[in-house]
Amino acid sequence: MKKKNGLGPKLYLAIVFVILYAPIFYLMVYSFSSGEKMYNFEGFTLKHYKEVLQDTRLLIIVLNTLVIALLSAALSTILGICGALAIYYVRNLRTQNALLTLNNVLIVSSDVVIGASFLILFTIVGVKLGFISVLLSHIAFSVPIVVLMVLPKLNEMSPTLIDAARDLGASRWDILSKVILPFITPGIFAGFFMALTYSLDDFAVTFFVTGNGFSTLSVEIYSRARQGISLSINALSTLIFFATMIMVIGYYFIAKRNQRGAGMGVGK
Amino acid sequence: MKRLTRAFSVIFLIAFGLMYLTYYLNQAEGYGGKNTLTVYNWGDYIDEELLEKFEEETGIKVIYQTFDSNEAMMTKIEQGGTTFDVAVPSEYAIAKMKEENLLLPIDHKKLPNLKHIDPHFLDLPFDPQNKYSIPYFWGTVGIVYNKKMLKDKEIKGWNDLWNPDFKNQILLADGAREVMGFSLNSLRYSLNDTNESHLQEAKAKLDKLTPNIKAIVGDEIKMLLVNEEAALGVVWSGDASEIMGENEDLEYVVPEEGSNLWFDNMVIPKTAKNVEGAHKFINFMLDPENAAKNTEYVGYSTPNAEALKLLSEEISQDVRFYPPPELTKKLEVYKNLGKKMLSHYNELFLEFKMHRK
Repeated sequence: MKKKNGLGPKLYLAIVFVILYAPIFYLMVYSFSSGEKMYNFEGFTLKHYKEVLQDTRLLIIVLNTLVIALLSAALSTILGICGALAIYYVRNLRTQNALLTLNNVLIVSSDVVIGASFLILFTIVGVKLGFISVLLSHIAFSVPIVVLMVLPKLNEMSPTLIDAARDLGASRWDILSKVILPFITPGIFAGFFMALTYSLDDFAVTFFVTGNGFSTLSVEIYSRARQGISLSINALSTLIFFATMIMVIGYYFIAKRNQRGAGMGVGK
Repeated sequence: MKRLTRAFSVIFLIAFGLMYLTYYLNQAEGYGGKNTLTVYNWGDYIDEELLEKFEEETGIKVIYQTFDSNEAMMTKIEQGGTTFDVAVPSEYAIAKMKEENLLLPIDHKKLPNLKHIDPHFLDLPFDPQNKYSIPYFWGTVGIVYNKKMLKDKEIKGWNDLWNPDFKNQILLADGAREVMGFSLNSLRYSLNDTNESHLQEAKAKLDKLTPNIKAIVGDEIKMLLVNEEAALGVVWSGDASEIMGENEDLEYVVPEEGSNLWFDNMVIPKTAKNVEGAHKFINFMLDPENAAKNTEYVGYSTPNAEALKLLSEEISQDVRFYPPPELTKKLEVYKNLGKKMLSHYNELFLEFKMHRK
């Protein structure tokens, strides 16, 4: 098929990107304003950045958010892989579909419902609200996402690959660690990063299960924003935006290098 | 597999590294220690310098958390799992929390500074003898109007709202007690009235107000008034002082017919771990100097008579926020009317909302 690169599609793309990025840039510009409000840019200053870096409580909250995101993403990836494998190995097609549907229900059900039910559960069981409760609930809503990211990779894998490995005398552990896992690695990383972003920006669930001085960034910004957003939040958001950009670019280069090196299929 | 294990080891290492860093920071800040006090307050409702001063004076580390509605706060306290030592609910929430046994009694012997509070603001119906709560700030319900938009028309009381010139110009705060209350007040009845014929009269009078009403809204009323979307609004004095700073054409008036007097009080929830520290904190906030500093920052009306003397005349003589005694006498605190009467109020308010122009 011959591609027609007219002006139309490019213009459309440009408009979409402007719409998507304009609010972020608007926010970033005002992080340098010496005023206190998000209108009437008053002059350049870095004082909001200074405020952010001096606010230890905010720094602790940022670190908390990162720890929760990393741990919950990693643990839910491990659980999600097990779940995806279990669903994959179910022979009965109807059971398999039922399990998959149950998995998807958790993804589509609203965050508020999940958050409220976790609050009730933790209260009944007697888990103190704080780090553990937030971590557990984040793992819980991330697992279905990982399953959904890993399962297509498993289905894509040719069953003959496993048969061949078995023929060549591989044990069950060998098959898992040397055939299946390397094949689905891209899916695992995709799942991990999805879980990471879900955890980083989750508000609704976290809002219900935080307490005892433990808080994550989204909840903290929400409670600060009640009285109008202070521009130090802009500064913080700008810093986080650039950190994410660096991470994305880094990930891109790593992925590119790996592609050149090993390619798809069986790794080392 | 190797790649996966390596990646995940790195992830876990980073996570635990960050965790250690957080722990270290917490420790350095003193949050990890035993001697802490968790204060649960509305957002931006305290001068944070006072927290530092309190920490210096007592050596107790304050963990300051905020909520955005009485309901959210009550849920968090009710379900346990949290250790809030001091909270600042509004008076109706205090009555409710008292009923549900969510509060610890306050030992007045530990609060020598309580004597600075104006006796007018003590021993009120929502908490007789202040067994469970100590006043933090108070305010009224009144009318905010835009001088520029109304030209020279002066607003003095509730009955001015019915002026036919204000067609589609009034915003109301969405509260059954507030709206029914001002209608009752405009008829010179008490806003705690339970007489059925009085209530019906008030409701009928409200129906006549509908042509003037632009909208009945929640928190966004502040923004709408600042942006001059409407010329008048029925709001709490706290909101009024906030938006008057943002738009200089706005003016606030406590209606001459009388109005509601509301309170935000400090309480000690039953989840408190540091009851001793909580008393110290409340006493600290009652200190005239601290209360005055806090009032300057927050901009609400302080119940602290001694603190009022320390404030500049510009603040303490402001009749909009410290109404003269003749008017103060006409201000009433909401009484708990019981579930049945309250739902009747709500029903009448709902009927009024659905009334066609």
